[in-house]
Amino acid sequence: MQETHERVEEAGAEAVAAAPADDAPGRERARSWLLVALAAVVLLDLALFVGRGWLEEPAVRAWRTVCLAVTVQAMPFLLLGTALSGAINAFVPTRVFQRLLPRRAVLAVPVAGVAGVVLPGCECASVPVANSLIARGVTPAAAFAFLLSAPAVNPVVLTATAVAFPGSPAMVAARLLASLATAAVMGWLWLWLGRPQWLRPAVRHTGHRPGHSRLREFRDGFQHDFLHAGGFLVVGAMAAATFNVAVPQSVLETFSGSPWLSVLFLAALAVVLAVCSEADAFVAASLSGFSPVARLAFLVVGPMVDVKLIALQAGTFGRAFAVRFSAATAVVAVVCSVLIGGVLL
Amino acid sequence: MRRPAQAILLLLAGLGLLHASLWTDLCLRYVKEGMRPLLVASGALLLLLGAAEAWSSFRRRTPEGRDGQDHGDEHGHEHGHDHGHEHGHDHGHGHDHAGVPRVAWLLLLPVLSLLLYAPPALGSYTASRAAPETVSRQEHFDPLPSTSPLPLTLTDFTRRVQQDRGQAIRGRTVRMTGFVTPVRRGGGAGWYLTRIVISCCAADARSVRVRVYGAAAPPADTWVTVTGTWHPGGRLGTSSAPVAVDAHSVVKAPRPVNAYTDALPLPTTR
Repeated sequence: MQETHERVEEAGAEAVAAAPADDAPGRERARSWLLVALAAVVLLDLALFVGRGWLEEPAVRAWRTVCLAVTVQAMPFLLLGTALSGAINAFVPTRVFQRLLPRRAVLAVPVAGVAGVVLPGCECASVPVANSLIARGVTPAAAFAFLLSAPAVNPVVLTATAVAFPGSPAMVAARLLASLATAAVMGWLWLWLGRPQWLRPAVRHTGHRPGHSRLREFRDGFQHDFLHAGGFLVVGAMAAATFNVAVPQSVLETFSGSPWLSVLFLAALAVVLAVCSEADAFVAASLSGFSPVARLAFLVVGPMVDVKLIALQAGTFGRAFAVRFSAATAVVAVVCSVLIGGVLL
Repeated sequence: MRRPAQAILLLLAGLGLLHASLWTDLCLRYVKEGMRPLLVASGALLLLLGAAEAWSSFRRRTPEGRDGQDHGDEHGHEHGHDHGHEHGHDHGHGHDHAGVPRVAWLLLLPVLSLLLYAPPALGSYTASRAAPETVSRQEHFDPLPSTSPLPLTLTDFTRRVQQDRGQAIRGRTVRMTGFVTPVRRGGGAGWYLTRIVISCCAADARSVRVRVYGAAAPPADTWVTVTGTWHPGGRLGTSSAPVAVDAHSVVKAPRPVNAYTDALPLPTTR
């Protein structure tokens, strides 16, 4: 009933929208408004007629809470990251980065990885910053090393790790080393195998251009990046909430027995849970049935690859890039944490 | 997404964050107390950004603000072409890069949810599935104060039962507050007094729980204060001892504002 009613409405509105079709953008605009209106109607219908009971199911309620929690928690860091990327775009001249980073890309990669220490935030902040770095002439390999290491090696996250694992400073050291190693290896891997055509051209970040107000450029870049990345953040939060509510505790226990499977399992869990890098140490500490190496894999993979991050990367750099890069990063991160964890833990 | 729509979205997002963090305690259902200043700052920043965008959209609509290419028509909202073009890209890529893609509309979902239909804090559904909080080891235990009933957190009670070789908890009447989580079907008698703790946001929730015997289970998710003594079993002071109480009384308690902490019970006014 409801559906046919809406279909009729849609057809009618389509005709209305098509009528003043003298300019294409006008029609497209009308259509996007129509889409929004339709979506609103459908959502309201769901909420009012079908959804009331359904939205209040315990599982759905928990899903809504977790989804909102991930979004709210990430919001300040996303703002920090996009403001920083807008500022880099508008205020920092290209030559600054040329002077700061070694000229040879092979050397620039580890330097950029270590530079990740300065961005005190979680992973949401690093994606827009890396994007604007690339646009400002930093070699992509170095920007990716920064992107990967920044959320894992900054002092806030390392302190949280030390607090979560009292009495085992080896865990902090192993996390630092394995994260830096993964970031550097991925940077070099990009130098070796990466193709520029996988990257969506970062047209937005043209830098400061003469005759334009820097403040205006900053605000435009900031606003664009925030809205864009924010939309993808919501996609990621929804995915993470789904896994968070759907993965039952009993699954965890079946995997904790085998050392090899448990490493792979916790790495996969880090990808689907998308816990913020400032909190993942506490989650890892609570997974007490697993070996230290498996928990290290959780800590190294989590800030570098997770569903929220894949959504953000797909939005910023393009889907072709996000899929290849995340898959390769996950493999490298697991190998690095097994090697370094095997020695240190 | 057109410019005025961006302004509206930014303003709403700012309002949503301020609503959750400044005017109400909603944010405590999702994140830790420590995040609040950051959320207030973010909300204010988004409001500023939205206001600036609305102001410049408005300026562009008035005749003196127009920059020539604009064919605004009589309908206010149907005006002109996307202005991102003019100051974003006049170096020709064919399509509109400055326009924010539609995916940004998704931000409306959490924002409206915060403003109109905020989901509650996590409760018994999550507690029955979340990973149990690892209670860290404590080597030295101070003697317990002599007040009776003795207010304790669920974590402290767990430690006293499973780690304190001095067995100071034996025979003591304790008082703890938490919410009710039913035991799974076939899990035996009693129910759980539960707290959910988070270290960053509700996505990393873990639960602390104490089993309660000797009192009928109130409905799930009710906040209660339980007074009782340790439920004997195993060897007290080792992990064989059950983390459980025999309840003397179960009284309804107000839901704490900051529910994601393992706090002491509030003093009762009786």
